[in-house]
Amino acid sequence: MWDAIIIQPFTNLLLLITMLVKNFGIAIIIFTILIKLLTYPLTARQLKSTKEMQDLQSDPQYVKTMAKYKDNKEKAAEYQMKMYKEKGISPMGSCLPTLIQFPIIIGLYQAIMRVMASTPLELVKLERLVYPFLDVNKILPIQNRFLWMDLGQPERLNVFGIAIPVLAILVVLTTFIQSKVMQPASTDDQAAAMNNSMTMMMPIMMGFMAYQFSAGLALYFLISNLTTIGQYAVMGRADWSALFPWVEKKVEKKPQVVIEVEDDEDDEDDDEPEPVKVAKPSARAAAKQQRPKMKR
Amino acid sequence: MNKKAIRLLILLVIAGTILTGCAAGVRAESTPGITVSEDNVYLAYMTNLYQIDRTTGVQMSDAVEKVSANLVMYAPPLVDDGYVYYGDLANKFHKVSADNLRSSSWTFEGAKGWYQGKAAIADDLIIAPSTDRNIYALNKDTGELVWTYSGEFAFISEPLVVGDKIVVSAQDHHVLVLDSKTGEEIHRVEMIGAVLSSPLYDPESGSVFVGSLGPEMISFNLETGVVNWTYGEGKALDSIWGTPILNGNELIFVDKSGMSIALDKNSGEELWQNNAGGEVVAGAVLVEGEGFLVALENGTINFYTGDTHAPLRSITVPGNIYSKPIVDGDQIFVPVINADALLYTYSTTGVPGWSFEAGN
Repeated sequence: MWDAIIIQPFTNLLLLITMLVKNFGIAIIIFTILIKLLTYPLTARQLKSTKEMQDLQSDPQYVKTMAKYKDNKEKAAEYQMKMYKEKGISPMGSCLPTLIQFPIIIGLYQAIMRVMASTPLELVKLERLVYPFLDVNKILPIQNRFLWMDLGQPERLNVFGIAIPVLAILVVLTTFIQSKVMQPASTDDQAAAMNNSMTMMMPIMMGFMAYQFSAGLALYFLISNLTTIGQYAVMGRADWSALFPWVEKKVEKKPQVVIEVEDDEDDEDDDEPEPVKVAKPSARAAAKQQRPKMKR
Repeated sequence: MNKKAIRLLILLVIAGTILTGCAAGVRAESTPGITVSEDNVYLAYMTNLYQIDRTTGVQMSDAVEKVSANLVMYAPPLVDDGYVYYGDLANKFHKVSADNLRSSSWTFEGAKGWYQGKAAIADDLIIAPSTDRNIYALNKDTGELVWTYSGEFAFISEPLVVGDKIVVSAQDHHVLVLDSKTGEEIHRVEMIGAVLSSPLYDPESGSVFVGSLGPEMISFNLETGVVNWTYGEGKALDSIWGTPILNGNELIFVDKSGMSIALDKNSGEELWQNNAGGEVVAGAVLVEGEGFLVALENGTINFYTGDTHAPLRSITVPGNIYSKPIVDGDQIFVPVINADALLYTYSTTGVPGWSFEAGN
C-alpha cells in the first residue's frame, strides 16, 4: 500500500527524470525541487494558518477575553472556537499540511534510497517497482557519479590528502540557516532556550547523517534545505535579522495593549470583552499579553 | 517547558530515527555468499564470515570477534591453498587462514568502496573487484597492490581468469578483457544493458558467453573480442541475472521471468525453451551426470535431465534464493534469506541434509 501510493510513483518519477537528464545528481536536485514545489500549496497554507493564529493570539480583544476566562477552561475554549469561526481559522490548519507533507518527505527520501540500489538484491527490488512503460533495464544500475562525488558512498573531497566532507558541512550550514530564519519569535525565556538548543541540535544531527550516509542523501538534504529557505524567503516569512544582526527586523505595527482585567465573577457570563486601552505599539509587548498572568 | 518545542523535539527524534533506520537498512542488505572446499563451506553473510564443516554443518570458526553493523559481508569468499580471501563492506580485503578465520595474514585497505563480488586468482595475484569502480590486483603473499584498473561503474561480479586474460563484467554495459599481468584493457565488448553476472568461458570454441539486463545473451571470441552472435533482439526475453551453463553444445541460461532457454553455443540458434514457473535471479547450475537445476527466487529448485531437459524432480527450500546454489560431489548447498537458516543442504537426489544458522 505504502509502496504503491508513495514509493512507487516517486521512484518512477525519479527514474524518469534520470533517464531524461542522464545524470542522477541533477535528477535528485530536480526531483527534490519538484516535490517541494508540488507541496508548496501545503507549506503556504500552513504558514498562512500559523500567521492567522498568531495574529489572533496577539489581538488585544482576544487576549483580554482569554485572560478573563483563565479560570474557566470551558468558557475559554468556547470563546476560542467562536473566534476561530468568526475569523475563518481552522484549528487544524497549521498542523494538517505538516501531517500530509510528512509521508511525502519520507517517500521522497526512500525513493532516492531505492534508486541508488547497488547490490543485486536491491536492484531486483528496484526493478519490481518500475512501471512497465519505463525501459529501465537499459539504465539500471544508475550511474552514481556526480561532480567529485560517488552518490552511493559517503562524500569526501580530497584536498591535499585531507578528506573534507563538503556536503556534510553545507548541510550543517544550511540547516542552521534554515532553523534560524524560520524560528518564530519566542514568547518566554524557556521556549527561547529550547529554540536555541534546537537550532544547534538539528544541524549537528543532519550533519552527522550527511557525513555517515551516502552522498545522494546528503545532496537531497542540502537541496531540500535550500528550497525550504527559498520558499520562506519568497513568502516573506524568513527572518534574516535572526541570522544577520545588521539586517533590520521586520516589525508589524500592532497596537500595544494594556489590559485591565478585573476578577469580577459578575462579568463571567459576559461574552463581550471590555474596551481595550491602547498604548504605544510594540509587537513583542503584544505577544506578551497572551499570558494571563500578565494581568495588571 | 514550551509544548510546541517538546512536540518539535519528539518529531525530530522520530524523523531522525526513521531516516537513520532506513539508511542503515540499505547498507546492511546482503545475501549469503558461499564457497565450498574439500572439507568446509565458507559462508559470508551480514556481519560475519563462517567456516562450516561440510559433513556435519557445524561451525568451525568465524572471522569477526566483535560484530559491527558497518562490517557487512557480501561477496562469497575465495578459497585457495589453505587460505580464504574475502572483502567486506567496510572497504577492506582480507587474507586469513582457511582453518582459523581469525588468523589474518594481511589486510588491504586501499579501496574506497565495498567488496560485493567474489575475488579471483590469476597466478600469484588476487583480482578483487570493488564498488569504488576499481579492480585491484594484489600480491597473493603480501597483499601489496600490483595494479589497478579503473572503470566507470562499481564492479560487483567475480572476474573470469583465462590464461593471461581476465574477463570482467561491467555495469556500464560492457564486458572487459584485461591483461592479468598489467591490468591493461585488451578489448571491450559493448552490450545493451548492465552486466551483473560473471561470464562463462568455453575452452573448446575459445568463446565467452555472458548475459545482460538489456536483455541479451552474447558470445564473443576471447582472443579477438569479436562478437560471434547476439540473442535477444525481437525475443520475449527478460533481464538475465545469472551466469549461463554449458551442457554439451547447448548454452543454457534462465531469464528473470523464469524462462530457461537453450542456444546452440556456436551459432546462437535457439534450441528449446522451458518455463521454470517463477522468477529466477540465481540462474541455472549443472548437476554432473544428471542434467541441471534451476533455482527459483521463491525457494523452489527444479531439476531437469541433461539430454531431454525434461523435469526430473522438484524440492522446496525455505526462504528466498538470490545466490547461486553450489553442486559439489553429491551435495547441493543452497544459501537463502528470509528463512530460519542461512544455508540448506540436499543430496543431488533431493534428500535434505543439514542446515546452518548463524551463531550455532
